Amino acid sequence: MSTLMLVADLTKRPVVTLGGEAVAQIKDTVFDAAGGQITGFTLAGRGLLSGPLKQSLPWSGVHALGPDAVMIPAVEVLQARDAVVDKGEAGSGQVRGARVLSDAGLELGTVLDAVVEGGTSGRVAGFHVATTEAMGRHERRAFLPAHGRLAMTGDTLVIPARLAERAVDDLAAADLRKGTER
Amino acid sequence: MIWWMWLTAVLVALLLLAGAILGTQARRRGGGAIVVRRGRRGGRGGMR
Repeated sequence: MSTLMLVADLTKRPVVTLGGEAVAQIKDTVFDAAGGQITGFTLAGRGLLSGPLKQSLPWSGVHALGPDAVMIPAVEVLQARDAVVDKGEAGSGQVRGARVLSDAGLELGTVLDAVVEGGTSGRVAGFHVATTEAMGRHERRAFLPAHGRLAMTGDTLVIPARLAERAVDDLAAADLRKGTER
Repeated sequence: MIWWMWLTAVLVALLLLAGAILGTQARRRGGGAIVVRRGRRGGRGGMR
């Protein structure tokens, strides 16, 4: 079973081994623009006084991305932080705040968050955006489907104009799973 | 200042310090979405 979830909701989600031990919590979700796929997570400690960890969780080490926890087989799947993202990429690749451009050169809005598919998929299914007048919905929030390979840097997300027509207001109603199939 | 004023000042200072530390750590634990431009170790799909 896979469910759609916002990356903001993944933050602070516990990382739990199949043995039942909570070893960390999610900090950042890292995804690859070329594949439209989660490549891993940076981690933070679970305690009140703990900060970011030097370890990260590559996607290959994830058993299941669930609605309440990220399950891993064992703590040995954790790797050095650089295995998922290095400091330069972490600084320049923040998705939140990136502007959304159509391939026709029209500014459609600003990225508020990414939507990913849970379970064992880890696919980037779409984006939550604050729209501009160009979408006929000035300063409203909408969900846009992704389309597999993402044309994206930390500054700008470029999407085909046809995808902008498929924006919906509600994640529950969003048909983002079909975004890569068309 | 009398002794209880010193005590109050020290307690207030400790509370402010604790609040600042907790706030800073909570902010450092916060995260978001990061995009990278190339595939990295980890690849596609979860471990089955």
